Amino acid sequence: MIEARGLMKRYGAKTAVNDVTFTVQPGQVTGFLGPNGAGKSTTMRMIMGLDRPTAGSVTVNGKPYTAHRRPLAEVGALLDAKAVHTGRTARNHLLAMAATHGIATRRVDEVIDLTGLQSVASKRVGGFSLGMGQRLGIAAALLGDPRTLILDEPVNGLDPEGVLWVRNIAKYLASEGRTVFLSSHLMSEVALTADHVIVIGRGRILADAPVAEFVDGAARKTVRVRSPQATELAELLKAKNAEVEDVEPGLLQVRGADASAVGELAAASRIVLHELTPVASTLEEAYMSLTADSVEYQSEDLAAVAAATSHNEGSKA
Amino acid sequence: MSATVTAPAGGSASGTTTEHTPVHNVTFFRLLRSEWIKLWTLRSTWWTLGSTVVIMAGFALMMAVVVQFLTDQMSDVEMAPGEQASMNSMLGAPTVIAGGYEFAGLVVAVLGAMVITGEYSTGMIRSTFAAAPGRLGAFAAKATVLAAVTAVLTTVSLGLGWLISYPILNANDMTLDWSNGDDVRKLYGVVIYTVLVALFALGIGALLRHTAGAIFTAVAVFLVIPFIFNIVVAFASSLDWVLDVNKFLPSVAGSAITPSGAQVPEVLDPWVGISVLGAYTLVVVVAGALRLKFDDA
Repeated sequence: MIEARGLMKRYGAKTAVNDVTFTVQPGQVTGFLGPNGAGKSTTMRMIMGLDRPTAGSVTVNGKPYTAHRRPLAEVGALLDAKAVHTGRTARNHLLAMAATHGIATRRVDEVIDLTGLQSVASKRVGGFSLGMGQRLGIAAALLGDPRTLILDEPVNGLDPEGVLWVRNIAKYLASEGRTVFLSSHLMSEVALTADHVIVIGRGRILADAPVAEFVDGAARKTVRVRSPQATELAELLKAKNAEVEDVEPGLLQVRGADASAVGELAAASRIVLHELTPVASTLEEAYMSLTADSVEYQSEDLAAVAAATSHNEGSKA
Repeated sequence: MSATVTAPAGGSASGTTTEHTPVHNVTFFRLLRSEWIKLWTLRSTWWTLGSTVVIMAGFALMMAVVVQFLTDQMSDVEMAPGEQASMNSMLGAPTVIAGGYEFAGLVVAVLGAMVITGEYSTGMIRSTFAAAPGRLGAFAAKATVLAAVTAVLTTVSLGLGWLISYPILNANDMTLDWSNGDDVRKLYGVVIYTVLVALFALGIGALLRHTAGAIFTAVAVFLVIPFIFNIVVAFASSLDWVLDVNKFLPSVAGSAITPSGAQVPEVLDPWVGISVLGAYTLVVVVAGALRLKFDDA
């Protein structure tokens, strides 16, 4: 169980995490979803006592992380794949970590087997691929058999088999009654793995709901309608409590009424339709629309960039 | 909840549970064990410690050869007993045995800095603090392991230097006089000196969190600044303030207890000098510990 209350982190003038309050329940996988730079990693570092909150507090299993006497038995964390000295072998890294809690060598070999690191355990970490680094991070997280797991972007750099493995292990650990808190910037990843989702954007919580509910709520269907009498139709639809958006003159985007309802209404009012298209927004689109205003690094319009580039080349020639 | 996670290998989630994994409270002793493992599982440790031994033993041999050379030259000249004694104090057994201690100190400083900066630069520090969130315990364990290893290593190096130089010193009737308190103190003074230098560098490392910066600072404090002052003192020994500043430099104050202490024009009393270096070290280590404790990792 993780409980964050009014958590805030400021770096100079920039607010990375802004008054964040949430609870992560045991027995289920909770996804922590947000674009890059939204404050996911900062929040997780504050949970682990690595970064000091500017305001607010966070507890794990009832206490601040730093107050636990066997921290590795409370929380296992994969904060980033490279929280390991590159000059040390994987096994020696785990042995050094295990020594702090008097964990037996047998357990070290167990987590090496569990994460499929047998063949590289005696190699130095500096030469590891991102995927191997992730597996070592997960091995270290599991070392103390913790009640709570915090995994920051655990599938980054993993091959498809590794991705599946992480999903399964996260679900399995949750099924044992543990708390699993897993961040991702990919909606699809969270939808596949998590039971509950907390969405963060620009340091603020945007949604906190069961995944099923979030999916239903977010992925609402819309209908695209093209008509020369669009304005007239819009008035009629609004009277029926549908949500209508003027995309461009003669083109409407309708929510809250399906295609057949719109068609029947148009027919009854003798309105000509040129197009009537049901549009199902994907989960990804729902997430994008939710976080659209809170994306830290907006990518520029590719077409515009391409045009500018070709223009420049043209003027040079 | 208490069952241990094992084996959902591959794509299967069919985990099996084995017996409980015993996980114990974090204690200082366990942190020491962890830091001990960390120290010896890095190649850089073996390189720095190995070169310390080689430097110390090599210098002892070289200095012994110098002694032989000088004695050969002097044997033609009749020397007054007083002159013989002054040469012995300049180039006595402790000077020969500990001849390379200043260089060994620099190598040990590199080790002391890297013990902490290596963790910050690789991100390992986050794993360290995840296991020991109180932070100061892990830092104290690091300092203890570093100090103990440096002390043992310097002692071993001195022993090796004694052995290597013994045949030549013996031939010239200059072997270490174990009953001479001053000579023996000069040797264990070298041990105290290198331990303090290692800890000083550890403190700098915790303050700067940057390997190159910390090593540069340690080299500046223990090599460059005293070197510059050495020249200044040679040309301006009439200026009192130059001599005053010089004798309170960390390296100069600290080496008052070592065989080279007597060779500086004006020097602090051995135990006062090493206490001055100890005080500098304490300030740097405490400052480093505060940054490590209160700043984001």
